[in-house]
Amino acid sequence: MPRILVCYKWVLDEQDIKINRDNLSLDTSKAKYKIGEYDRNAIEEGVLLAEKLGGSVDVLTFGTAAVKQSLKDVLSRGPEKAYFIGDPLAEKADASVTAAVLAAAIRKIGPYDIILCAEGSTDEYNQQVAPRLAKMLDIPAVTFVNKLSLEGNQVQAARKLGDCTEVLHVEGAAVVSVMPEINKPRIPSLKQVLAAAKKPSEELKLTDLQLDEKALTPKVIKLSIRGFVMNRKNIIHKELSQTDNVAKLVAELAKEGVY
Amino acid sequence: MQGIWIYSEDSTIAKQLLTAGLNLKEAMNQPLGVITLDAGQAKSLIDSGADKVVVLKGENNWPESYAEAIGKFAVQEETGVLLVGGTLRGKDLAAKVAVSLDAALVTDAQSIKAANGSLETTRLMYGGLAVCTEQVSLPAVLTVPPSNFEEAKPVEGRKGETSTIDVSEFDQRISVNEVCPIVRQGVDITTAGKIVCVGRGISQKEDLKIAEELAQAMGAEIACTRGIAEDYHWLPEERYIGISGQKVKPEVYISIGVSGQVQHVAGIRDSKIIVAIDSNEKAPIFEAADYGIVGDLYEVVPMLTAALGKK
Repeated sequence: MPRILVCYKWVLDEQDIKINRDNLSLDTSKAKYKIGEYDRNAIEEGVLLAEKLGGSVDVLTFGTAAVKQSLKDVLSRGPEKAYFIGDPLAEKADASVTAAVLAAAIRKIGPYDIILCAEGSTDEYNQQVAPRLAKMLDIPAVTFVNKLSLEGNQVQAARKLGDCTEVLHVEGAAVVSVMPEINKPRIPSLKQVLAAAKKPSEELKLTDLQLDEKALTPKVIKLSIRGFVMNRKNIIHKELSQTDNVAKLVAELAKEGVY
Repeated sequence: MQGIWIYSEDSTIAKQLLTAGLNLKEAMNQPLGVITLDAGQAKSLIDSGADKVVVLKGENNWPESYAEAIGKFAVQEETGVLLVGGTLRGKDLAAKVAVSLDAALVTDAQSIKAANGSLETTRLMYGGLAVCTEQVSLPAVLTVPPSNFEEAKPVEGRKGETSTIDVSEFDQRISVNEVCPIVRQGVDITTAGKIVCVGRGISQKEDLKIAEELAQAMGAEIACTRGIAEDYHWLPEERYIGISGQKVKPEVYISIGVSGQVQHVAGIRDSKIIVAIDSNEKAPIFEAADYGIVGDLYEVVPMLTAALGKK
């Protein structure tokens, strides 16, 4: 029975981030954290595999101290145990640091037969942690997968890559990154939410992962993040009479010369 | 650190990257080379500006399997910058090469410049809500989205050297089969002049008819959000607009029942006129719209279709 691990990221909900119009800085004061949208597909896929084949699903995350808040949420989605590394270093970590930390953690808590990741995180969307992890752990990477199965010791995965599809067979363990279309994540039931509180979680200390300073030094440093602002006319009709609204819109489209 | 290298499994993209590479070559005063799997392209890559072309020759047809060889080569050459075509295959390979090279990797770099012994790049964050400027230490690997740069202009008779590396070691744990080209049906929405886009405000597949009738009255193409294509499968995937889907630039884009998540809006930014119809006055799509109507799409859209159809 397979041992399955899913990596996920606790991210700011981008829908709650506002752009300050005067200086284009981002206002995250009202933004809540969430499990990355695409990570939910990876978690669901792990749980689906375990439901079919037996075996176990663990999850692993690296973030700031805030990641602790994610544990109940992630465990309510079906995994049995959560491992987390909560360290201020995560604030400035680039994908090379994140992959190094996750790889070191996996060496400690593994081995796993399959390690699932999302195709990318919802905030950074770097799309590189999964293939970096595979290379660091010296196992094959199977990225951008939209159909996955496990048979005995073999991973079978279908990929869709712009202009073609292909099926990969991998002997032994693999890191697999999944596309959102692979499944539709379930909404946790009340029972699952309550059960999550009783499931185990374990903190891994960064200092116990035996990573040297070089591995923990980001190679990419953010100089600025500026909101992308579109200058649009924002003429929105809200009258009760839709006949009036439609007439105004048709006149405007005619004036713009697009109709 | 020295040498600027380019790799893409797609030679058209490699030639686009030569435009970026030639700029870096001038700023950094470094030679510019291209790593390719296609020996037949060596001459035209030199014509387009490569000082060197290295052809990887091996029995394996799966481009990703050359990551190991490219990593080794990049280390041996003490590569300073490696630009990789940002296809999904390219992104997979770039991450593995970045580990071999113990290098930074920037995904989907939109602009690249050399600055004080490092690079400065910009890319999108938070699903397109923000633009992030980053300082990237060398060695650096960057993936660059296809069509981000124009192809470098070829100059007949440019000089450059070509060499071949035989690659014989491949990961025996992986086998690839059932490779099928995807046959695209219908039109390419990225070149459409008018677009009617549907979102989850449409409550069932049969109701797409409302949008189709509007599209017909306007002479527009139908497009959709990621959810409609990937969760509901109501429309083919090549019709979904967004940061990870198609980016469109029509004269007019009309959305029906689209809430306007940032990932979607990132795909419609270059539209000339954006029109939104949705029942939720607070939907973010209205902030991105030039014109809009707050109302029940089932009431508003048929009226709009009738009005536009009359003209």
